[in-house]
Amino acid sequence: MREINYLQGIREGLQHVLEHDPTALLFGQDVGAFGGAFKLTDGLQETFGCERVFDTPICESAMLGCAIGMATQGLHPIVEMQFADFITTALHQLLNNAGTRHYRTGNAVPMVIRAPSGGGSGGGPFHSEELESFFCHMPGVKVVYPAFPSDARALIVSAVADPNPVVYMENKTIYRTVKERVSDELEPVPIGKARVCHEGQDAVVIAYGAMVHEALRAAGELQASDGYEVMVLDLRSLKPYDLDTILAAVAATGRALVVSEGWKTCGFAAEISAAITESAFHLLDAPVRRLTAPDTPIPFSATLENRYRPSAPAIATALRQLIEF
Amino acid sequence: MWTLDTVQKVGAVDTAVWHEVLRLMVLARKVDEQIIKLCHQGRIHGSSFTGIGQEAISTAAAIASQPQDLFGPCIRNLALHLGRGETPLGIMRQVLARRDSATGGRDGNIHHGRLENGVYAMISHLGAMISVVAGGVMAKRRQGIDAVGVAFVGDGTTSTGDFHEALNFAAVFDIPILVIIENNHYAYSTPTSGQYRCRRLVDRAAGYGIDGVSADGNNAAEMYVTVNEILTDIRRTPRPVLLEAETMRMRGHGEHDNFKYVPEELLLLYRRRDPINLAVRAMAAAKLMDSEQFAALETSITEEVAAAARQALSEEEPSADTLLQGVYADA
Repeated sequence: MREINYLQGIREGLQHVLEHDPTALLFGQDVGAFGGAFKLTDGLQETFGCERVFDTPICESAMLGCAIGMATQGLHPIVEMQFADFITTALHQLLNNAGTRHYRTGNAVPMVIRAPSGGGSGGGPFHSEELESFFCHMPGVKVVYPAFPSDARALIVSAVADPNPVVYMENKTIYRTVKERVSDELEPVPIGKARVCHEGQDAVVIAYGAMVHEALRAAGELQASDGYEVMVLDLRSLKPYDLDTILAAVAATGRALVVSEGWKTCGFAAEISAAITESAFHLLDAPVRRLTAPDTPIPFSATLENRYRPSAPAIATALRQLIEF
Repeated sequence: MWTLDTVQKVGAVDTAVWHEVLRLMVLARKVDEQIIKLCHQGRIHGSSFTGIGQEAISTAAAIASQPQDLFGPCIRNLALHLGRGETPLGIMRQVLARRDSATGGRDGNIHHGRLENGVYAMISHLGAMISVVAGGVMAKRRQGIDAVGVAFVGDGTTSTGDFHEALNFAAVFDIPILVIIENNHYAYSTPTSGQYRCRRLVDRAAGYGIDGVSADGNNAAEMYVTVNEILTDIRRTPRPVLLEAETMRMRGHGEHDNFKYVPEELLLLYRRRDPINLAVRAMAAAKLMDSEQFAALETSITEEVAAAARQALSEEEPSADTLLQGVYADA
C-alpha cells in the first residue's frame, strides 16, 4: 500500500491503459513534453512516445472529430480538454456526432474525453465550470466523475474499455489535496456503481466529485456537534447513475440531500431529486433537498466564490434542517 | 464549353474507366430522379435532397479511390455512396426509412453511410465530418494501411469554424486528406456573394500552408484526372489538399424549396454544361460510345432503379418497439 493523490490516480490509470492497450492514445493541448497544464500527463510522452501521447493545435472540435474517426477505425483515443469549459466550442461533436453514431449506424465509438472541472481555485467563469448536466443530457454518452484516487485510477480503465463515448470528469481543485492509500494492484470499478463512503442512518448526502469531500467533512462536523450519523454516497458514475444504491440509501435514512457544484436549474441534482421522488416517495420523511451553486456565472473573487460553491458548513446547515424537518 | 483540353483529358482516361464514370453518373442521376418522384408522390417522410448536376465530382472520387480509403460525404454525394458499394435498393430503403436500410430508419435521406465501404454517415453540422475522416485516416495509417481520405463540403461549409479547425489540424499532422469544396453557387438561398469575400475559395489553402487546386466540377474527365493525381500523390506523400470544384446546384436545397431565388439564366447556362451530357458528347467524339449504346445504358439503369424502388416500397418500416434499442454499444 502507498499513498497517492487524486492527480496521481488519474495518471496511473492513464499509464495502465497505455501499457496494456496498444490501441490507446492520448492527445490534447500541451499534454506532451510539457506534461499538461496541471502536469497530470507529465512523463507520459517520454514513456510512450510521440505517436501515442501528442499535442494538438487549439481546436476542440477537430480534436473530438479526430477522436471519433480514430475510435471508429480500431483505436481507443483519450482526449484531454485542457479545461472542461472549452468543450462548449465542440459540443456538436459530442452530442450530434459521437452520441448519435451507434444508434444511427451501429458503429461503436469507444472514446474518452477527460474534462478537468470545478471551481474553488480562482479560475473565474471560464476555468471552473461543472458541465455534467450538459453531458448527462446527451443520448449515447456516458459520464463518470470519480472523487478518490483509487476510483480515478480504475475509472479511466473502465472508461477506455467501454465501447461508447465516455466523458471522464475530474475535479482539478482536489488534484493534489485528496490522498488515499492504494494497493499497486488496480481494482476495477465498473461504470454505473455508486459507493457508500460514510455510513449513517439519519440522512444521506448524495454527491460526486469534490462535493463528496465537502459532504464527508460536513458529516464529521455533524457527528461531533449534534451526534447525527449521516451517510455519504459517492455516485462515481453520473450516466448511467446507480439508482438502486440511491434508493437503498433513501430507504435506510428517509432523508436525502443532493449536493452539486453545478448550477441549480435543470442541474444534475434536479435529476437525482426527481428520480428519488418518482421512485421512493413513500420512503421519504422529508422533501428531497438540493444544495447546488446558484444560477450565476462563476465569480472570481475568493469571497464571492466561497459563497458560490457549496461547502462543508453549508452542507451541515442543510443537513441539520433536513434531519430536524 | 467543349474545349480541346476536355478532349485531351478524355484521351488521358482509360476507356474502361470512362465507361465506369458514365455508368455511375447515370446511376446517381436516375436514383435521384426516382427519389424526387417518390418525394412528390408523398411517399417520403420529411424532405429529399439530391445531387443533380454535381454527379461528376463524387463519381471521380469514388472511381479514383482504393478500397481502404475513407470518405465524409455531405449533402450532394449520392454518386459517392453508390460508387463505394451502396446499392440503389439500399438508397431506396434509406430514403423510405425502411428497417433494412443502412440506418434502419433511425435517420433519413442523405444521413447515412457504411463503414464497410469506408463511408461515414454525415451529421447535419457542416464541416464536422472533415476531422472525423482525418482521424480515421490517421488511425488506419498507424495500423500500416495506406489509406487516404476525401471529405466533401459545400461553399457554405467554408464559412464554419469546423472547416478551419479541421484543415489546420490536417495540415499540422500531414494527414493525407483531400477536402473537396463543391462550389455550387448557393448555400440554401444564400449566394456565394453573401458567403465569402475572397476571389476563389481555393486561395484559402495558402493560409493553411497546403496545396489548393481548382477544377471544373461538371467535367468528369477533368475531375477524374485531377482527383486521381491528388490521391496518388498524397497516398505517397501524406498531406492535405484543398480542391475547389466549380459546379451548380440544379434544384432547390431540398425538394421543399422552389429555388426561385436562382436566376433562370444561371440554370440555363449550367443545363448546357450538364456533366452527363458533356461526358456523353466527349465519349461520342472519342468514339467510345454511340447514342444507341447510351440509350440502352439509360434504359437498363432506369429499370434497375424502378425495381429497387418497388422492392423498398414493399418492405417494412422499423417496429416502434425498437425505439429504445442501440443507443449504446454493448460493453
